[in-house]
Amino acid sequence: MELNLFIEKLFARAAEEGMDKCEVYYVDGSSFDVNVYKGEVVDYSVSDAAGLGFRALVDGKMGYASTQAFDEEAVELLVNAVKTNAALIESEDEQFLYDGHGEYAKLDLYDPAIDTVSAGDKIAYAREMEKRTLARDARVEQLQASEIFSESSKVRIVNTLGLDVSSSANVMGGCVGPVARDGEKASSAYRLFLAKGADFSDSEKAIEESVNEATAFLQAEPMPSGAWPVVFRRDAVRSLLSTFCGVFSADNAQKDLSLLKGREGEKIAAECVTLVDDPHMAGSVSSTPFDGEGVPTRRKELISEGVLTTLMHNLKTAKKQGVSSTGNAARASYASAVGIAPTNFYIAPGSASFEEVLAQAGEGVVVTQLQGLHAGANAISGDFSLGAKGYRIRGGKLDRAVKQFTVAGNFYQLLKDVETVGADLEFGMPGAARIGAPSLLVKGLTIAGE
Amino acid sequence: MMNRSHVEAALAAALATGGDFSELFFQDCVENNLSMTDGRIENAVTGRLCGAGIRVYKGLGSVYAYTNDTSYNGLMACARKAAQAVGEGACERQVRLGGSVAANISPVQKIPMYVPGARKAEILRAASAAAKSVSPEIRQVRVGMLDWDSSVTIANSDGLCVSDRRVYSRLLCSAVAANETENQTGAVNPGRQMGFELFETLVDPEECGRTAAKQAVTMLHADACPAGRMPVVIDGGFGGVIFHEACGHSLEATSVAFGNSEFAGKLGQQIASPVVTAIDDGTMPGEWGSLNVDDEGTPATRLVLIEKGILKNYMVDRLNGRRMGMAPTGSARRQDYTFAPTSRMRNTFIAPGEDDEAEIIATCGDGLYAKEMGGGSVNPVTGEFNFSVREGYLIRDGKIDRPVRGASLVGRGAEILPKIDRVGRKMWMAQGMCGSQSGSIPTNVGQPMIRVTDIIVGGR
Repeated sequence: MELNLFIEKLFARAAEEGMDKCEVYYVDGSSFDVNVYKGEVVDYSVSDAAGLGFRALVDGKMGYASTQAFDEEAVELLVNAVKTNAALIESEDEQFLYDGHGEYAKLDLYDPAIDTVSAGDKIAYAREMEKRTLARDARVEQLQASEIFSESSKVRIVNTLGLDVSSSANVMGGCVGPVARDGEKASSAYRLFLAKGADFSDSEKAIEESVNEATAFLQAEPMPSGAWPVVFRRDAVRSLLSTFCGVFSADNAQKDLSLLKGREGEKIAAECVTLVDDPHMAGSVSSTPFDGEGVPTRRKELISEGVLTTLMHNLKTAKKQGVSSTGNAARASYASAVGIAPTNFYIAPGSASFEEVLAQAGEGVVVTQLQGLHAGANAISGDFSLGAKGYRIRGGKLDRAVKQFTVAGNFYQLLKDVETVGADLEFGMPGAARIGAPSLLVKGLTIAGE
Repeated sequence: MMNRSHVEAALAAALATGGDFSELFFQDCVENNLSMTDGRIENAVTGRLCGAGIRVYKGLGSVYAYTNDTSYNGLMACARKAAQAVGEGACERQVRLGGSVAANISPVQKIPMYVPGARKAEILRAASAAAKSVSPEIRQVRVGMLDWDSSVTIANSDGLCVSDRRVYSRLLCSAVAANETENQTGAVNPGRQMGFELFETLVDPEECGRTAAKQAVTMLHADACPAGRMPVVIDGGFGGVIFHEACGHSLEATSVAFGNSEFAGKLGQQIASPVVTAIDDGTMPGEWGSLNVDDEGTPATRLVLIEKGILKNYMVDRLNGRRMGMAPTGSARRQDYTFAPTSRMRNTFIAPGEDDEAEIIATCGDGLYAKEMGGGSVNPVTGEFNFSVREGYLIRDGKIDRPVRGASLVGRGAEILPKIDRVGRKMWMAQGMCGSQSGSIPTNVGQPMIRVTDIIVGGR
């Protein structure tokens, strides 16, 4: 069934059941992915898929249901499931649908240049990247990935209060994953990059960095255990931020799942730390003019020079706390209930170059990669104890790569212990959120190695 | 349900440009997710995931296309898209399908979607109240019930056509213990391929809630784990995550076929201590990682991976099997139709050994006792793994001493497996979601209590 007709039938059927406040969240996406191995296409994936989430207020309670089938049967399933689910809700929190008032930013998130690149061009480029990566260093034996991807998606939210907003975005990029070998020793690295329109030239940097990293770890030395000054390189900081960004959610705070509850206005980080959420950043598919509830989005600082200015809110948490929504309502997918998430979320850069940050550390370790964050980092306690890789810092300069070690600390404490913020802000891959960070020098943390 | 002639036409169309094998995976899945925070139902979400994926092989290359439009036109468009990616040229192919329904080894008594939400809520309330009652230090309790009921049909150009229905139920209990400045957590998440009867038979919701809460309180009063190299005793159940990370992933054809595994080319060689026998078994009725047929339609198997330390088998899917010259082992799995399948673990465990559990600790000297593990990850190329200890205790002079928090273990699979010097007698399993190339899938990990003579322990 055509979408508008489906929505019309759905709202009409819902009204018959007494549900006059309801909303559809529709996502339509397509994706392309090709991976080359020794010149041959080994994986190739294309998709077109859509899904629709339906929610409605029944006696003040919000029920949710979703579907990927768009037939009469689906209308019945959605209406019945939402009614049944709403009746189960016991939470006293007030629930809202948004009526679409306010100014929406005009963002240009769809780049037609991306559509001009054919599948054949993408395959050819993946092949060329593999060749260039292999040619760069004789120890690079093969690649785990030489991949080009593109994605486009359209989100539309329509409700019976008059809201009807939509936004389209697309993105293209790739990744290289060289495997280096030297006798029995093997090492791998992985780098992603984004195309600028139809231009893949940033792949060169990804190739250079990944080959350097894979080969450097062939000669890794053991890291002595102890308390060391630690420089978290920008990519490792991004890993920490994406793991712990939930502590800035007002929903988590209100449920006692974040230790930042009621701390607005207090100093929670070193003065050099400013944390930003900017939904209007150019060139990012994580940017959006409206959030998961259709509320207009805006830029905000969550931490300004060490002081917690606000948490991220949606309509429910804002009402509970007597503030306005920060436009951070999010739906992890069309099938999920409304939650809270950042958009483009980053620590503002300082003035010290990466080399200057190393010089300030003197003797210590650079953490370039953190492993097992889904298990070894706990967003509720803030504790982390993680496998890591990196390099020794000797005499204020980057030295040999070191073998796998562990680094342990607490995120809340780490925010306070930041001594220097680097100037090297870099963003990760855009997804539901896009995280950015510069490198950070942190006071002593416990390292376990040899 | 799929129309057979539509599927036959789509499989033939997918081969129209010279592919040598085509496969269609159709899925229609209803999921329910009920969650309770602070003793009150907060969210109730129902979803229907529905679509089809078509895969075409040409030699060692493969193409995957998927769509949520399962009408005749939708399937044909999807098949043509896949064919177009395979190449040019024109081949006339006909496909004739047989048809069967997979024998179900995991019978379901109470289909979750027909169980009233209010009855599910009672289970959650019981678990939540039990957790809350453990201590005034329990600040927050979140419990949830997940169930999904997935009907799939797998058809391929060899004429195979098999339908299967898979029903999963899971209870999620997590508790937060807090004082003025700190939070600590505990969690218990049992699941089975069963219906709602799971919560009236095998799983006691109150017991789960209490266990999660006690763990959180224990950790609130724990000191930081000291860092360094030491012997570690890892208890059974979720402790099996050490084998899952240190070895299991490196035995999946996904890594082995491309030589991207430290265990590639090592069949028949001693890779672990002789006390270690490890099995990946997809045939255990009702278990979280079991299969009737895998996602390529191959019947599940019980596969001995390591026998007395010697590497016996890899886990192989059809495509990587071509590259390796090996038959598929019924290990091809995927999260849903939006992923192409590849070789994955099912119920993976270290088999019971001959050592006495009390002796294992008594002869350990000073070390770490990991009672409950968290998850972990591995890089199969280097074998470097990491995983976290959810509930740990120091061992002092052969006796279990005070609790410690924030421990993590790191090492390389090939270095650690020979260092397992004790394997206890009683094996049990625990449930996890394993994330890899073909998405997030239910897997069991398991083992009896084991001891590793020395490993790097991260702490503060």
